[in-house]
Amino acid sequence: MAQTASTANQTATNPTGRPPSKSRAKYFFLSPAIFWILIFTIFPLLYAVYTSFFSFRFGRFNQFVGLENYRRLFTDPNLHSALRVTIIFVVVTVTVQMVLGFGLALLLNREMRGRSVLRAIMILPLFATPVAIGYLSITLFYEANGPINSVLRVFGYGDVPWLSNPFWALVAIMIIDIWQWTPFVFLVSLAGLQGLPIDLFEAADVDGATGWQKFWSMTLPLMAPTLWLILMLRLIEAFKVFDIPASLTLGGPGRATEVYSLFTYRTALRFFDHGYASAQGLLLLVIVSIIIAVLYGRIRGIYEVER
Amino acid sequence: MRQTKTPAVQKVAIWGVIIVVVFWVLFPFYWAFLNSIKKPADTFTNTYIPFLQFQPTLEHWQAELAIPEIQRAMMNSFIISVGAATLAVMLGVFAAYALARFQYRRVDSGRLTTWFLSELKLLDNVLSLVLLNATFVITFPVIILSQMFRELPRELEEAAFVDGASMFQAFLRVSLPLIMPGVVAVWIICMAFSWNEFLYALSLTSNQAIQMPVMIAGAEHTRGVQFWFVGVRVLLTILPPTILALLAQRYIIRGLTLGAVKG
Repeated sequence: MAQTASTANQTATNPTGRPPSKSRAKYFFLSPAIFWILIFTIFPLLYAVYTSFFSFRFGRFNQFVGLENYRRLFTDPNLHSALRVTIIFVVVTVTVQMVLGFGLALLLNREMRGRSVLRAIMILPLFATPVAIGYLSITLFYEANGPINSVLRVFGYGDVPWLSNPFWALVAIMIIDIWQWTPFVFLVSLAGLQGLPIDLFEAADVDGATGWQKFWSMTLPLMAPTLWLILMLRLIEAFKVFDIPASLTLGGPGRATEVYSLFTYRTALRFFDHGYASAQGLLLLVIVSIIIAVLYGRIRGIYEVER
Repeated sequence: MRQTKTPAVQKVAIWGVIIVVVFWVLFPFYWAFLNSIKKPADTFTNTYIPFLQFQPTLEHWQAELAIPEIQRAMMNSFIISVGAATLAVMLGVFAAYALARFQYRRVDSGRLTTWFLSELKLLDNVLSLVLLNATFVITFPVIILSQMFRELPRELEEAAFVDGASMFQAFLRVSLPLIMPGVVAVWIICMAFSWNEFLYALSLTSNQAIQMPVMIAGAEHTRGVQFWFVGVRVLLTILPPTILALLAQRYIIRGLTLGAVKG
């Protein structure tokens, strides 16, 4: 803040009454944030690259091992298991969230009472601390007399082994993730739908277009950039999922719900294998970068600002 | 989209869907609340209506709030999230103004915006052990506020220049006050996100600095699953960010989509 204060002193008087020179001001305004991000992201990133070339054992640098940590990425069955679990998780949760969220938004995109209340309710899961929700889910999915199994029992599907069976444990963390993030897809889709030009749809009505025709040839193409944006944001977050498996299942039973981030976390802080963990982190960075590179082109339009 | 006349059947179906959705969204919150006011013996019964089906009690709230570790964790969460949000907003508001008002020759503003975007989305996992919450949330003020600065009419600042104001004075006295509601909302979003952050909190804290999310994650292993304590702790953790989010509602869509979609 000292910086900006001195800027104020230097340019405090402006007797000419003309717009002041922008050349200095524009760097003073931008540089604090840039420096901050450089310090806290670029340096750690470089440090991660550096450590990935070393083997760490017993809490200290052991020796330079070259690409050994990267070679392990290709041969470690536990890593492959984590990657497979994560990909299944990502594909299922994101698909369900996109379909349900957009579907609901289409259904509820109309004049109706109580829409603002509904929006308020839908915001709640997004901001509910994920770890707390994971912890709460231990009681929700409680096998003996938790509420979910109690309800299922009424329909005759009593004792689902939610947390002790590898398949159902994965389903459980997916259900919680879907609970938390479907509202996000819904809210953003709804905001997007409400920004569509009404007169275009009125013109289509005049021309006698059916609901399906309007949906396929107008709503969907017009919503495409927003939907790609939602998809990108959801894919990135889903690949990094950590909190819910870490609190609900601890990656278990066995390794059934050990997602990528949890595996990396354990490599670094349980086994203190920092070099290998850095290599894993960089691999995730590459995966996420590819997602952004592929999808960013499609959404670019909505970030471009008119001047 | 304009609706001409909604048939009654469709109306019923829509309200049916709404009721199911609201129930699905709210049930976990209600379940936590129920357990927090049930006597331990009652938590093993499937009862859902206080007073009618069981006698509620505040004993768990009193017991939990009296625990020094809980008090300290709440305090830590509060201090860290307020600090991170304030820092991020202070740094972010200047960058936001710069991106909205100036052209940068070598890197155009669009690309800089993208860079801020990627900072948030790419790096927080790789660098989880080193990054701080302020860095993690700084994207929100930068992106949302730069959008808001752009929407302000420039004439206001130009009028200030005519009156002899400097760039910084025009920013501080004219533009900043006008977007103050947005600044407050962004601050709230930042605070809620720092509050909820778990990975860095878990990695970087051991004892003194423990926050609520870490506190909660550790509880189950030392205490087993005691529904009533789960209820209280979950609500203590969840309520601050969710209540804050309700206050910042109008800006949340913009925040979560990094300004791309107007909420």
